[in-house]
This record gives sequence, structure tokens and C-alpha cells, in this order.
Amino acid sequence: MPAVQETIDQVRKIDVDQYKYGFETIVEMDKAPKGLNEDIIALISAKKDEPDWMLQWRLEAYKRWQTMQRPDWARVDYPQIDFQDIYYYAAPKGQTGPKTIDDVDPEIRRTYEKLGIPLAEQEILAGVQERRVAVDAVFDSVSVVTTFKEELAKAGVIFMSISEAMREHPDLVRKYIGSVVPVSDNYYAALNSAVFTDGSFVYVPEGVHCPMELSTYFRINEKDTGQFERTLIIAEKGAYVSYLEGCTAPQRDENQLHAAVVELIAHEDAEIKYSTVQNWYPGDAEGKGGIYNFVTKRGDCRGDNSKISWTQVETGSAITWKYPSCILRGDNSRGEFYSIAVSNGAQQIDSGTKMIHLGKNTTSRIISKGISAGTSQNTYRGKVSVHRKATDARNFTQCDSLLIGDRCGAHTVPYIEANNATAQLEHEATTSKISEDQLFYCMQRGIPEEEAIALIVNGFVKEVIQELPMEFAVEAQKLIGISLEGSVG
Amino acid sequence: MNLQAQAPLTGAETALIDLFAQRCNDLPGNAGAVSARDKAVAALKANRLPTRKVEAWHYTDLRRLLSSVPAWRADAPAKPVDPILPGARRFALVNGALAETPAVDGLQFDAMADSLRADVGGVTLEAPAEADDAVGAINTAFVSDGLRLSVADDAEIAAPVEIQSVHAGGQVHTRSQVTVGAGARALFVDRHTGTDDAVLASNVTELTVRKGADVTWIIVQEQGAQASHLASLGLTLEEDARATVFIANLSGRLVRQEVHAAATGERAELAFRAVNMIGGDAHCDVTLELDHLVPHTTSTETVRNVVTARGQGVFQGQIRVAQPAQKTDAQMACNTLLLSDHGGFSTKPELEIFADDVVCAHGATVAEIDHDHLFYLMARGVSEKTARGLLIKAFVAEIVEELKDEALVDALEARIDAWLEAHG
Repeated sequence: MPAVQETIDQVRKIDVDQYKYGFETIVEMDKAPKGLNEDIIALISAKKDEPDWMLQWRLEAYKRWQTMQRPDWARVDYPQIDFQDIYYYAAPKGQTGPKTIDDVDPEIRRTYEKLGIPLAEQEILAGVQERRVAVDAVFDSVSVVTTFKEELAKAGVIFMSISEAMREHPDLVRKYIGSVVPVSDNYYAALNSAVFTDGSFVYVPEGVHCPMELSTYFRINEKDTGQFERTLIIAEKGAYVSYLEGCTAPQRDENQLHAAVVELIAHEDAEIKYSTVQNWYPGDAEGKGGIYNFVTKRGDCRGDNSKISWTQVETGSAITWKYPSCILRGDNSRGEFYSIAVSNGAQQIDSGTKMIHLGKNTTSRIISKGISAGTSQNTYRGKVSVHRKATDARNFTQCDSLLIGDRCGAHTVPYIEANNATAQLEHEATTSKISEDQLFYCMQRGIPEEEAIALIVNGFVKEVIQELPMEFAVEAQKLIGISLEGSVG
Repeated sequence: MNLQAQAPLTGAETALIDLFAQRCNDLPGNAGAVSARDKAVAALKANRLPTRKVEAWHYTDLRRLLSSVPAWRADAPAKPVDPILPGARRFALVNGALAETPAVDGLQFDAMADSLRADVGGVTLEAPAEADDAVGAINTAFVSDGLRLSVADDAEIAAPVEIQSVHAGGQVHTRSQVTVGAGARALFVDRHTGTDDAVLASNVTELTVRKGADVTWIIVQEQGAQASHLASLGLTLEEDARATVFIANLSGRLVRQEVHAAATGERAELAFRAVNMIGGDAHCDVTLELDHLVPHTTSTETVRNVVTARGQGVFQGQIRVAQPAQKTDAQMACNTLLLSDHGGFSTKPELEIFADDVVCAHGATVAEIDHDHLFYLMARGVSEKTARGLLIKAFVAEIVEELKDEALVDALEARIDAWLEAHG
């Protein structure tokens, strides 16, 4: 079924040529020389005033990385990256770590204002009373400010840049870093482990429901820099935290590299909700410029009854290579992945998730909507694996894609592996088969089939959206407005 | 990757290379065929047998699974068996050599061995173009005979035709080329069977369905318990052609059945069905690649799998819709009953779509028998064993019964019953 006009218009609005965040901030930068070697790694480590074990860890990662090969299994095509032609460290002059808002360069403050990110604590989102969000703002290689730190500390929540955490809570960082995504997990994770510069660190102690949304806003600004973000979130027994991340970059003709590693650890009864609005500069319609977004995100449901939920709205980046995953280790643990991936122009997206069922009674749910337009390629690649001892595992996967125009491609590559007889796995790509009971219920009441399907699917998606933090929901709502009709699996 | 190529040869790889050195002068073929065989063996040597790292073999590590290769046996005693359908005309290949060829109206045939030898009007043997085509490489290297069949235009072949490959162990490598002429109709049973002796069997079949023709192609794989069975069916559907391909995998230790299909003419229709009964230590892999190349083509794919004991099942299904293939309708489903904690099932239903006005879908489920269904039957006094048997039977029978031919349905169901009896 072809897309309806309304949908086409909606997608056009988010077309690559209308990228709103493509401006550049002119600010004096402090940069390490271009190139990658042990000296640069030592320099990054020294700039961050890191303990020695961290430097050794980085150097070990660098050694491993040199022996590894670029992964070629994804459906993305890009030239070899010259890793010696990138700045691995770039920070606004005089800014080596987070400060109070008053110390932040006014130029940078204006940048965040333009992006709509509240850096001042008193600011409250328009129309949303009593709703506050703590922000960690990362500008190229450094975190420039983290808000609401004191208030969060009162609740026992640690929220700071990872560089700061390395100094203030070295034991926690050392215990958890690399425990979900090992140094040599993959090519880009190894690179990140060697040269990561900043990112957020969140620790929610036992029994604490984090009093506000936490968020990190990543901005790439400087030319020829790579951004290597490292985020680590730990939820102790019975804790809850919701975390958002947003990303933008200036409009340039050169490609820039963003290689992140995000690790989540949920202990017994804990819940982590991680939401992303990824809006890196996607390049122009001909594929010139844009961010290469190579990201390893993984959550470990380590304790019983723990839950990790990934939600992503992917609209930016020239290339996206990203598979937020859940390792369902604890009994009764639950993993969720909700994704809306929109590709336009010459963008290439290869994204999806992995749900690895190891514990008993584990459940996972995957909902993925891909929309491709222009000459873009949009691939869902996902894996659901049930191990031999994972009794009563349950998975439901649904991935729909929509093509707008006849020069783009939509692809679905699910890997489904069952090794236990009590597993119940469902992978669905047709709307007509989602829930015959619900369909029957609607149709019995006189709603035509197509409307009934739209109602059910929209209803379901809305349910997800409503659960999301407000900031995310507003942005995601725009994309959800896109009609779901004409889906192909 | 070169890393794999540097690994030492496995026992099976060495055995295959040695066997080729020993047999190559006895294998049929003209100069072109000799060169193709050499190339195929060279490719095998260079690439090794595929491992999980080769995407097309992601769930079938042939290098590990094909642990040994039986010797070639010239004197293995084998005899053709009764066709599965009453009144069927039987073409028999015994130990890889064409042994029985009935005369059938509207059907022309040649021995593949003769066609390979012929310099004019024969069959050109070609080494596989793709590095991951291990089935093609092994078959090209060792193919000894097979059948070349062509159904005349507009012919209606009333009796079913069974192409039977029967053996008593060792090495069996056959190749067939079947063309169904424009407007013709025919039903073929492509059957592979043998004793329980160890065998390495490979078969490559090229089936071309010309304009407006209608063919039913039933693959019945009932090899012995020690068999390694590697097969590939190439299928080309021209304009208005219709094909029903039904695969029944009922035994064998290591089974790989590939299907490479292409809808090259408008309004072509393919119904692809597979029933895989996987028990014991069997590893059974069905891999489908289907290209929709032109507008208005339709395909449905339904695969039903039953896994017991230590069985390992695989279904990879890739549907590719090319940019010109607007209005394609492709529906794929893979449903599995996984009945043992020691068994496993892996599936990869892929869609690769470049056309926007299409309806494509796939569904995959893996589950055990529905407890409500079981309860329903047991509450009515049916024993658990019988109830489970009934439900498994119903699960696979649903697609068997889509075949219109009653005798065919009976024959296939009888085989499924026998399997359930042995593995239930």
C-alpha cells in the first residue's frame, strides 16, 4: 500500500534539508593534536585527571582495538575512516570539567538556549509545572555543566559527568565500567574504551525512586572532532531512574564520528528507562556530510525482577549502527525496545536490538517502526535468543516499515534462536495478525477493518509514548503522527 | 576473511580433496566440465567449508557438522523402491547413476552424464560464482549423473513423475535440469532415500517453469539416519507461471536444503511450503532465497517445524523485492513446535525491499504445544500421548492438506504419522 499524503508531508518536514540544529558555535577551543596514539590517550587521561588504572585500561583497549577489524556485516556503506585525521580531544578553552552555570562561556550558554536545553536550574519547561529535568550538557569532549546535582544528592542519587565520577567515586566506576560492554566487545566499543572523553554517570542507591528525569545533551561542535561518549547507569536494588539523551551537530560537508558506549546495570527489582532522541546532522540529500553514529548500548538486568527499557527516535546521522540490547540474566527480568527510525536523503540506518534470555520467566518486547524516504536505506536487525536454561521465556517482536518513494529501501533481518521448549517467541510483521481478538472486538462494533487496525496500533504506540518522559513524548509525538498504514514488515 | 583460509583442513575437507584426486578421471564431462570441477575443488580448498561466520551458513556450521565423509562405494547394493504415489512414473537414480527411465508422453529426457559429456547441446557445468555456495561446489566437483527432463509445451502430464535417488551409502552426487514448457502442467516428486549407511549426498536441481505453466514439485527427503544431505533447488518462474514447491524433510543427520527462486515474469505465483520433522541428533536447515524481480508477482511461504530430542532446526528465508517489482505480494510464516529442552530452533526471516508499493510480511513463532488445547483433549478422555500426537499432526497437516491431490496428502501424512510413531 502506498503512503498517504499526510504521511509524506510529515516526513518531508523532518527532511534533511530542513535540519534546524546545523549552526556552529564560535568559541575558542583547546584541542589535542590530530591523530590516535598512546600519547593522545595519556593526554586525554591526564586532562581528566584520571587514576592510573583508568589509563592502563584505556591503553589495553587501544592495544585490542589495533588487532580488530572494522565490522562489515551491517547494511551500511561508507569509506574507510582515517582515524589519524580526527581530533580526539576538543574542549572550550578553560573548560576541562563541569562548572556552575555562571562560569559557562556565554556563547555556549546561548548555544544550548538555541537548542532548547535548560541549563539553569530555575528554568521550567513551558507549560509543564513542577516538572524538572536534570541536565548534563556535553560539548564536544567535555561536560560543561550538570544541573540539580545538589538536589539529587539529597536523595542519594549521583548524577555527574563520568570524568568527575572517576575522581569522586572511583570504586563505583571501576566496579562497573566495562562489565556490560567488555573492552573488546567490538571494534567501535574498543575504540571508545581507549579514547572516550565524557558522558554521564548515574548511580541510584537502593530503594530510591529518582526524583526527576535525568538527561544528557550531546553536542558536537568543533570541526574534524570525534565524539566518544561513555555513559554508565547503575540502579541498585529497588531503584528507579528515567534517563534521556539528545544529540545534535552542526551542518558540515565532512563526516564526523560519534562512537559511544552506554552501559546500564539494573539490580534486583530495579528499573531503568533509557530514551534517546537522536538528531545528529544527517548530511545533505546527496549524502554529503553528516555524523557516523556507531554506538554500542547494552543493559544488564542483573537482578531478579529487574527491568530495562530502551526507547529511541532516530532521525539523524548519515549512518546509524546501533543495537541497544538487554541481557536478561535475573529471573523474571524484562527487556523492552521501542524504536522509531526515520531515514531520508542518503541516510543509512542499520539498527535494532538484542534480547538475550538467560534467566527464568524472562520477557521481552520489541516494537520497531522504520520509515524510509529519499534514497535512504533503513534496516532493522534484531536478535532474540533463548538459552537452554531460560525456562518460560516470552518474546513479542513487531517490526513494520514504510517506504516513501521508489528509490529507498527497507529491510528486516531478525535472528530468532530458541533452545528451550517452554520458550514462546513471536515475530510479527503483519498488522492484520497482531491481535485478532482486538480486531474482532472493533469490527464487531462496526469499525471497518483498516480503521480498527489503525486504532489498535495507534492505541498501542500511544500507550508507549504516554509512558515516556514529557520531553521525549513531545518530540516522538511528531513522528508518531505519521500514519502507520501501508506498512511492510 | 583470510583467517579461516589459513586454518588447517578438517578431516572431511581433506577427504573430499583426496576423493576428488582419486575420482576425477572417472567423472563424466567434456573439457569445460573438467575445468569447472577443478575450479570447484580449488574454491573448496581456498574457502574451506563454511562456518557460522559466513552469513548464509549462520546457523549451520558445515565445517563442524560435516565431521567425516564416507568413502566412495562403487558396489553398494541398492534397488529402486515403490513410488510414494500410486500410478506414478518412476525415474530412478541408483547410487548416483541413472538406472530407470520410463517412456512418458510429452516428456523428453537425457541422462545428465551424457549431457555433461556432449560438446554440442549438452549441459555446461559451471563452478559456483559465490564463495558461500558450498552445496554447489561439492556437487559441481563430484556430480556423476542425473536427469535432464523437459515437458513439451501445453502438455498435461497426467501421471505423477517420481525422480527417485536411492543409494546404499557412500557418495551420491546428482544433478537435474527440468524445464516445464509453456502452458504445460505436471506433478513431480523429487525423492531422496537410502539405507542407514553413512552417505554424503548432494543434489542440485534447476527447475524452469515457462510462461503459463503450472508445476507441483514435492521434495521428499527420507535419507537414512547417518546421511549428510546437501541439496539446492533453483527455480525460475516466467510470466504467468505457477509453482507449488513442497519440501518434506523426514530424516537424515545433517540436512541442508537450499531453494533459490526468482519470479522473472509478471503474474508469476509461488507457493512454498515446508514441513521439517526434526528428531534424534538431526540438524536440518532449510534456506530460501526468493527474488521478486518484476511487477505483480505473488508468493506465499509457510514453514512448519517439529523439533524433538536433540534436534536442531534452521529456517532462513530471504525475500528480496527489486525496485521494479511494484505490487509484489509476499507473505512468509515460519512456525515451530519446539518440544525438547535439548533441541533448538533458529530462524532468520529476512525482507529486503526496494519497491514502495508492495505488501510483504513475515511472521515467526516458536512455542510448545498449547496447554489449553492439550487440556481440551485430555478433559475429554484422550490420553496425553495421543493428545500431543494429534496436536502435532494437526499443526503440520494444516499445510500438507493445502495440496489438492488426495493421494499426495495421504502419502505425506502417512510418512508424518510414521515419524510421530518413531519419535513421539
